[in-house]
Amino acid sequence: MSAFKKVAVLGSGVMGGGIAAHVANAGIPVMLLDIVPQGANNRNQLAEAALGRLKKTNPAALMSDRAAGLIQPGNFEDDLSRIGDCDWIVEAVIERVDLKQELYRKVAAAMKPTAIVSSNTSTIPLGTLVEGLPEAFANRFAITHFFNPPRYMRLLEVVKGPRTEDDVLPALRRFGDVALGKAVIDCKDTPGFVGNRIGIFWSTVAMSQAMSLGLTVEEADSVVGKPMGIPKTGIFGLGDLTGIDLAPHVSASMLKLLPPDDPYCKIYDANGQLAQTIQWMIGQGLTGRKGKGGFYRQDKAADGSRTRLTLDYATRTYRPTRRAELASVKAARKGLRALVEHPDKGGQYAWAVLSRVLAYAAELAPEIANSIADVDTAMKTGYAWKWGPFEQLDLVGPKWFADRLRAEGKPVPRLIEAVGAGTFYKEEGAARLIFTPEGRYAELKPAAGAWKLADVKRGKQPVLSNKGASIWDLGDGVACLELHTKMNAIDANIVAMVREAAKLDKKGFKALVIGHDGDNFSVGANIGLGLFAANTAMWPVIEQNIKEGQDAYRALRNAPFPVVGAPSGMALGGGCEILMHCDAVQAHAESYIGLVEVGVGLIPGWGGTTTLLTRWMQNAKRPQGPMPAISQAFEIIGTAQVARSAAEAKEKLLLRPSDGITMNRDRVLADAKAKALAMVPGYKPAEPAEIFLPGATARTALAMAVEGFRLQGKATPHDVTVMAALARVLSGGDVDILDPVKETDLLALERAVFLSLIKTNATLDRIEHMLTTGKPLRN
Amino acid sequence: MPSYNAPLRDMRFVLHEVLGVGNYQNLPGFEDASPDTVDAVIEEGAKFAQEVLQPINQSGDREGCKWDAGNVTTPKGFKEAYKQYCEGGWTGLTSLKEYGGQGLPYYVGVLLSEIVTSANMAWGMYPGLSHGAYEAIAAHGSDELKKTYLPKLVSGEWTGTMNLTEPHCGTDLGLMRTKAEPQPDGSYRITGTKIFISAGEHDMTDNIVHLVLAKIVGGPEGIRGVSLFIVPKFLPNADGSPGERNGVSCGSIEHKMGIKANATAVLNYDNAKGWLVGKAHKGMRGMFTMMNAARLGVGVQGLGLAEVSYQNGLAYAKERVQGRSLGGIKAPDKAADPIIVHPDVRRMLLTCKAFTEGARMLTYWAGLNVDLAHKHPDAMARREADDLLGLITPIVKAYQTDMGFECANLAMQCLGGHGYIAEWGMEQFVRDARIAQIYEGANGVQALDLVGRKLPANMGRSLRTFFHPLDAFLKEQAADAAMKDFIGPLLRAFGRLQQATALIAEKGMADAEEAGAASSDYLRLFALTAVGWMWAKMARVAIDKLAAGGGEDPGFYRTKLATARFFMERMLPDTASLQQKIQAGKRTLMELDAAAF
Repeated sequence: MSAFKKVAVLGSGVMGGGIAAHVANAGIPVMLLDIVPQGANNRNQLAEAALGRLKKTNPAALMSDRAAGLIQPGNFEDDLSRIGDCDWIVEAVIERVDLKQELYRKVAAAMKPTAIVSSNTSTIPLGTLVEGLPEAFANRFAITHFFNPPRYMRLLEVVKGPRTEDDVLPALRRFGDVALGKAVIDCKDTPGFVGNRIGIFWSTVAMSQAMSLGLTVEEADSVVGKPMGIPKTGIFGLGDLTGIDLAPHVSASMLKLLPPDDPYCKIYDANGQLAQTIQWMIGQGLTGRKGKGGFYRQDKAADGSRTRLTLDYATRTYRPTRRAELASVKAARKGLRALVEHPDKGGQYAWAVLSRVLAYAAELAPEIANSIADVDTAMKTGYAWKWGPFEQLDLVGPKWFADRLRAEGKPVPRLIEAVGAGTFYKEEGAARLIFTPEGRYAELKPAAGAWKLADVKRGKQPVLSNKGASIWDLGDGVACLELHTKMNAIDANIVAMVREAAKLDKKGFKALVIGHDGDNFSVGANIGLGLFAANTAMWPVIEQNIKEGQDAYRALRNAPFPVVGAPSGMALGGGCEILMHCDAVQAHAESYIGLVEVGVGLIPGWGGTTTLLTRWMQNAKRPQGPMPAISQAFEIIGTAQVARSAAEAKEKLLLRPSDGITMNRDRVLADAKAKALAMVPGYKPAEPAEIFLPGATARTALAMAVEGFRLQGKATPHDVTVMAALARVLSGGDVDILDPVKETDLLALERAVFLSLIKTNATLDRIEHMLTTGKPLRN
Repeated sequence: MPSYNAPLRDMRFVLHEVLGVGNYQNLPGFEDASPDTVDAVIEEGAKFAQEVLQPINQSGDREGCKWDAGNVTTPKGFKEAYKQYCEGGWTGLTSLKEYGGQGLPYYVGVLLSEIVTSANMAWGMYPGLSHGAYEAIAAHGSDELKKTYLPKLVSGEWTGTMNLTEPHCGTDLGLMRTKAEPQPDGSYRITGTKIFISAGEHDMTDNIVHLVLAKIVGGPEGIRGVSLFIVPKFLPNADGSPGERNGVSCGSIEHKMGIKANATAVLNYDNAKGWLVGKAHKGMRGMFTMMNAARLGVGVQGLGLAEVSYQNGLAYAKERVQGRSLGGIKAPDKAADPIIVHPDVRRMLLTCKAFTEGARMLTYWAGLNVDLAHKHPDAMARREADDLLGLITPIVKAYQTDMGFECANLAMQCLGGHGYIAEWGMEQFVRDARIAQIYEGANGVQALDLVGRKLPANMGRSLRTFFHPLDAFLKEQAADAAMKDFIGPLLRAFGRLQQATALIAEKGMADAEEAGAASSDYLRLFALTAVGWMWAKMARVAIDKLAAGGGEDPGFYRTKLATARFFMERMLPDTASLQQKIQAGKRTLMELDAAAF
């Protein structure tokens, strides 16, 4: 799948280590090299320490134990000579041109001529980096700029120099896209490239405007936060997260590189309140979450209670955090325009930020990027904005925006003038059009094999649809079942549509993909409705729901055509169970899969318990006898384990060894469709399994294990009840080891056990607690 | 002139034979409540009510309260009856011993207040409100406030009031204008006007303790800025005696439809000195303590009036001869048959009887849960009792007061034209009963409380405390053929309630108007199911007692079973039409513009 068979990463700091880990996540061996520290006994000390950190970071940098094994630590002195078989060499050392160039010369001597070298620099122009270096090196050199943390931030900016050969960028783009799963955008060789150029300007404007308009930190974060499509930390909270001490370095390098008439140089005021506040904070060790706090901090009282405090930047003192209550933020529910049109200080602030940032982005776009779509992608994938700058302009209306700038006597960027009364993006039938700097619209076509369901749906009607789910025609005889409830929680509508999907051969389809564009495949059954039914003792209704879910999922598996699940994000509980009933899964690498029902005091009741048990029982690699398999399933379900990647899900058999993994989110559906089509010839549904289970003797063994957990304080009283119920299903109930247990018997046991648990107060308390706090109750 | 005999046999049946209150005696706070003690207390209470309170009920109504220059005179005999009541220790029956009370469980107080209401509702409200004030101060007041006021309220030396309503705000207390200005000594100066203050001014005690909601100047807007204050009519001296007159005066008393012997005062606060009860701006918390107890208390009033009305309607129906039975002459020795032979008269009387006996069980069960919610040593048991109480309180209040009024009407109907004549006393019951549907949160507000607050609270957790045991009871009894007449109808009503609850949970979450449109019918559906359950439980006991020979009075149990059947066949089926109305949704309610009405 990848042109790069082996990779070297030079520099094992936060970025270097993270890049190496992610290359390993893609299944590719990677050397991680760094200097030999003076007087070190262990010459690989830095890289080995980095590897140790990578195994422990949270969120995890590595997707599996196997990936960790692909990283080979080493050092520049002993191991550079071994990079001759590497196809790609990434440099991520400290941002000093002299040190980088010194290293490049050594690399040039050791690399094979076809290898590609790239730097992860965030600020140094490519021209400067290769100045004075041999032509042969410059020909193979480019910039690949990752965002931190490399596993999770999707943006990868690539920059080509005038001397870079034509095959270099396509190879990097392809590898970045397919193998690493990044959103790759081409940038011109300008300071800060695209993401940081706009991002740094934005954060400076957002913080300094808050101060000059006199908003509290909480007020500012309530505006430059969810209402403006920014992560809920808000702007000051984001500063705490990334580190306050970073700010002076970032601004210094930008000021050095940018022309003095760049708006950033004009808004940056070294003597202003923002710069002074940050300087004071760094002096006090208030560097954010990693330091003694930042704009926010937690104070722990003697009695262990915590108070959240906020910095009053005017007095430089902390006071208890106050919930901001701005009318403009409430108005923002009606949209971004309502926010910036609101007369209160929140609305004024939002406009002050929005008007400057969007004008800056619009002014710069042609100079720094190839298309406005790339600018939008950069901000969405590199800074986690919900909408890119041009999408924001479309939300408020470019003409309205231009009129308001004009009314305030401010210049209107050429691109915004040009779009006039139109919008930057528009849809015509099935086509999505984008406004180009040349002043016309061009079709924005998804890359081959990288489309979203939205691209399929545009201008079309679904084959079938209800409030919870829809079925779409993907072409080539393949249908797609899309879930679209809140968080894709599974309700009666989705179950009904699953039932319909299992009959799609009647409508001429030959394969089915289950997936969608949402962040999470499905968070599980909608337990809110279930809780009301349980609280009002509507047991027959609950029993019927369980039965209908089991039947629908089984119908999916028994359908006369292949079904391929295409998850991304969370696939928990009932969502995981859908996947377990698919004939195959093509999972996004960032899939978080688990049977988490015990967290709410239940067991998987839609066939999940039965299927996981059967998988472990039929696992060719398992030791003799049923107990090891039963114990595995018991542990995975009984402790509500969630795989933190698709790779880990395979280890737990929540996915099969034969299931596929796609690194790029945008390629999951296409890959799943291809997989489904490949399964069509000669497809036969799997036979229902029959397994032999030991009954009561297995329960005794599991009960002893649970008792052990209880004595160690790892199992709460209700855990013991739930695990005993789980053990009843996994042991096969009241059976003899010599009689085969049918799948239908196990499903009946699942239902009975599920019902017995949902009738307990402790389970209902767990469900209530999960719904009201989002956290499991340990009762 | 009407009469009243406390239904002691029925009360004992509910308490001992069905609820088994004696089983709780091992719990803290129940130690002194042996069955014998409880029986003795209610017998004494009944005697007092019948001999002292009932005789001044009709005269009190006729005479009313008199206002003169800020002073209120209660009707003849009221003051003396109150003195006797205090001397008997009745005011502190369920108050803590440390404040001079007798420390009996709350449910004993519920029994007493049923009896007192039946005998003389207007009089009963004077000590009744004192107890509400006692509860609020005991739960939220500082030690100093408790020390100063609780012993006086417990002994009955002083009475208490609750001040919420203002001329422009009743249900929506966020609109309140009465303000409190903090003083350097930690006290507050209260200024504003409160109306509809029951027992707000009278001549029975030498001091009155007003609990007043007001907004501290500069505090948050709306309901979140409301605080609770103690404002005594006379500022207590260091020795506890009433001293200087405080800046509170009674501007007038209302002229009302009923409860004429209870003074409903307009109170003017003019820089009156007051002290904060509980935390600043958290006044609603303190007020809710009073309101929950008070709402249950108002539900008891519905029960009490239904009981006394029924007794008098029944007596008349047995004596009054008029016409002949449709099924043939029943009293050939008389000029006509007593009207109790007529099916429709029986319908009216049985409706009253089935309601009162069912509601009595529901009320006492709720009362017992007040004790369990406060005193049970197990936290989970306390939570469950509290959940159940929250759920059942609006039901007890609204359903029982609606039915209290209906039964007073039905009983009056039994008297024909005489029922309309004041001397017979029946129309007073109707007038007195009417207020209970309105005050302490109008019944429509109770229904909103049920669907808007109690149902969604904790994701519907309270429902569990009602639905689960009822479901278990139905399963347990299903196999017993002797229970067939009761379990079948109850099962159907329960199914309707389940479906209506699911419907409201689903539709009402998305559209609050849907929940509002269903609320009153839903409350009634819930209430009927609840009372149906009470009847089924009573039937179970009656069947068991009869199977064991029936003891001294098998007729009592046979009557129970017959009344239970009446409820199941002729009252519980209303749940079907209620369910239909709930399913109809809000459309026709909301369709018309206000101008089109």
